[in-house]
Amino acid sequence: MPDLSVNLAGLRLANPTLTCSGTCGYAFEYADFMDLSRLGAFVTKSITREERAGNEPARIVETRAGMLNAIGLANVGLERFLNEKVPLLRQMPCPVIVNVAGHSFDDYVETCGAMEGLDCVAGVELNVSCPNVKDGLTFGTHPGRLKELTAQVKKVLPSKPLIVKLSPNVEDVTVTARATVEGGADALSLVNTFTAMAIDIHKRRPRLANVTGGLSGPAIKPIAIHMVSRVYRAVAKSAGVPIVGMGGVQVWQDAVEFMLAGATAVAVGTALFVDPASPNKICDGLAAYMKKQGVEKLSDLVGSLELPGDQPKTSPYP
Amino acid sequence: MHSALREQFVCTVLGNVPLCREHYRLVLGLREFPATDPGQFIQIAGRDLDIDYNPEREIDWEPGRAPDVRGKELMTPLAMLRRPFSLAGRRDTPDGVELDIIHRVVGVATEWMSRLNVGDAVHILGPLGNRFHLPAPEGLAILVGGGVGIPPMLYLAERLAGQEGVAFCGALTRDLLPLTILAGGRSPGIDSFEPVANIGEFAKHGIASVITTDDGSYGFRGFVTQALERYLDGLGLRVQDSGKRGEGDLKSQISDFKASQTTSAASSPSVLSPQSSVLRPSSVLPTLYTCGPEPMMKRVADIASARGLPCQIAVERAMACGMGTCQSCCIRVRKPVDSVPLKGRDWAYRLACTDGPVFMGSDLLW
Ligand SMILES: Cc1cc2nc3c(=O)[nH]c(=O)nc-3n(C[C@H](O)[C@H](O)[C@H](O)COP(=O)(O)OP(=O)(O)OC[C@H]3O[C@@H](n4cnc5c(N)ncnc54)[C@H](O)[C@@H]3O)c2cc1C
Ligand SMILES: Cc1cc2nc3c(=O)[nH]c(=O)nc-3n(C[C@H](O)[C@H](O)[C@H](O)COP(=O)(O)O)c2cc1C
Ligand code: FES
Repeated sequence: MPDLSVNLAGLRLANPTLTCSGTCGYAFEYADFMDLSRLGAFVTKSITREERAGNEPARIVETRAGMLNAIGLANVGLERFLNEKVPLLRQMPCPVIVNVAGHSFDDYVETCGAMEGLDCVAGVELNVSCPNVKDGLTFGTHPGRLKELTAQVKKVLPSKPLIVKLSPNVEDVTVTARATVEGGADALSLVNTFTAMAIDIHKRRPRLANVTGGLSGPAIKPIAIHMVSRVYRAVAKSAGVPIVGMGGVQVWQDAVEFMLAGATAVAVGTALFVDPASPNKICDGLAAYMKKQGVEKLSDLVGSLELPGDQPKTSPYP
Repeated sequence: MHSALREQFVCTVLGNVPLCREHYRLVLGLREFPATDPGQFIQIAGRDLDIDYNPEREIDWEPGRAPDVRGKELMTPLAMLRRPFSLAGRRDTPDGVELDIIHRVVGVATEWMSRLNVGDAVHILGPLGNRFHLPAPEGLAILVGGGVGIPPMLYLAERLAGQEGVAFCGALTRDLLPLTILAGGRSPGIDSFEPVANIGEFAKHGIASVITTDDGSYGFRGFVTQALERYLDGLGLRVQDSGKRGEGDLKSQISDFKASQTTSAASSPSVLSPQSSVLRPSSVLPTLYTCGPEPMMKRVADIASARGLPCQIAVERAMACGMGTCQSCCIRVRKPVDSVPLKGRDWAYRLACTDGPVFMGSDLLW
């Protein structure tokens, strides 16, 4: 078996497959359908300080090659997370990354602070970009606030890697990426969903109760690849900050594409709804691809894409 | 915590026959399938996952030929997410398991399903969801199905075999009834709500039925709920002033429902006798079971609660995962007594896919 392991900001992952927050529950929801022990890491649903009921239904609608969701961060809240979910997470057969969302600096700091002392939490991912919640401050599109938030959270989370999940709903994703890195992020993940809308033409009304939702699935993959490539080249590579690539990953070929563009790991979201075992299948596909291509370490692929105008890494002519 | 009783399976189409306008019965065969109960559902992929998710398989293209913009290559939409379908029946044979799905063509996935041929592969995931709780042995089961809510009622009827039951099935018009209307069964009068042996699928389990159509093209003219109300009135189960009557029974049946984890084995099927529509008074209250369009189910819940009758409702919500991970299928319930207080709210969301699809009517706030 080729070496699929990757190093994500100090976390040794057996392979580069993660789950996307919000598409895999809190812990064992997919245990019947996939081998959780073969995940690189498991990422929980976003946790907020207070429990949230979420938006009114309809919360999802399928669109061509994708779906819109406006769940509204429905989650059990920090207290119930600690009481009900952490005991389950202690039994998870893979590293666990807790995704944290909030509406104020205090929200994030308190929730992330509670993760610092938990042995079963290998790292924290900040959701600064949920497009489906109207209350509270927006962080994901505001570089100054984002840098400050990252710095404040890093202070209460000194011993664990902090991944900041970037919103694609910005003019220039390298600007928010840079702000996050300056704030002290250990890793970046991108992308979250794209704000979008669908209309029922017969009823002449929006198909989601929330009017807008986040677009995910295969439809967004090419844009996500482009954003990963840009952030890798403009910010992440020179800063030595790894990227978790996501957005439309379904099969191993997608994972290779993200890694060539600069992602150290990839996360599978919407595709889990159709095939919860897809991360396991991606690992098998990656191993076969490495054999065929003569790649010994998967991490050698990361960012190895050469673009016109790049300095050639190795010249075929001596 | 997690029983490995649910999985992904690839089935073979054993049959796919039109039942009436827009409705098909799809029979899926597979070597084995976990135990199932009425009320449960499966997630069906509206595409062949083996072919359509394999990017290495390229579409044949000859140089010089323009891509087919109206056909499979660019314009034919395929469903990305799986779609939930209730089990409409199940047979365990020496060769394996046969699952019945009855579906109505309303969009991309159901259109794809309607074109399946015998021998085609279908990817399913399940079984999912909770189940109907069967009534006490001496209790009458009243099944109320509307349109595409009829399929789970057929599976329930299969399991009720031998128990006393009566079914109400409604549709807009006669050719939207995905049922075998027995040849001898001339249309009863447009105001008849007397259950008779006129639906093959129910009659073979000794269950008499009432057919209603909104336009009066067959059976009772009007909504299925109108026929139901008149029938219940006829049984002496009238609207109560205070809802006191039968409350004790209701509570105990609800807690039975919640506590129960076991299925009563189906007893021997009985032959439908002409008397089976004549219901003997029983000390146990009848239980209502319903599935169909939401306004219909709400009305059934109201009818039941006004008469102090327990009512089990299989709700349908848009679902992305069916496995309790996406939070898309939420439905409002009265705040359960044991739940953590939520500031200023006397309700909670529950997930139709894992907490349901079957809920007690008295719990639902929709
Ligand atoms: C637990 C459960 C059990 C179900 N059992 C059955 C069954 O036994 N037989 C059957 O025919 N259908 C059943 N349904 C409904 C079925 O899932 C939908 O008809 C199906 O998803 C439509 O897919 P499509 O791609 O053909 O249509 P789409 O293109 O997705 O939708 C076409 C139209 O149908 C509407 N629609 C989609 N899903 C639903 C839904 N769940 N309820 C109401 N309207 C919807 C859409 O808003 C749209 O207007 C069930 C649904 C649930 C949640
Ligand atoms: C139903 C649903 C719920 C989601 N919930 C969250 C969430 O709670 N927190 C978060 O950071 N991202 C959430 N996301 C975004 C995903 O984690 C991911 O970034 C996005 O869906 C792109 O990946 P995909 O195309 O593979 O799904 C959600 C996505 C979906 C489809
Ligand atoms: S359908 Fe995803 S949680 Fe119910």
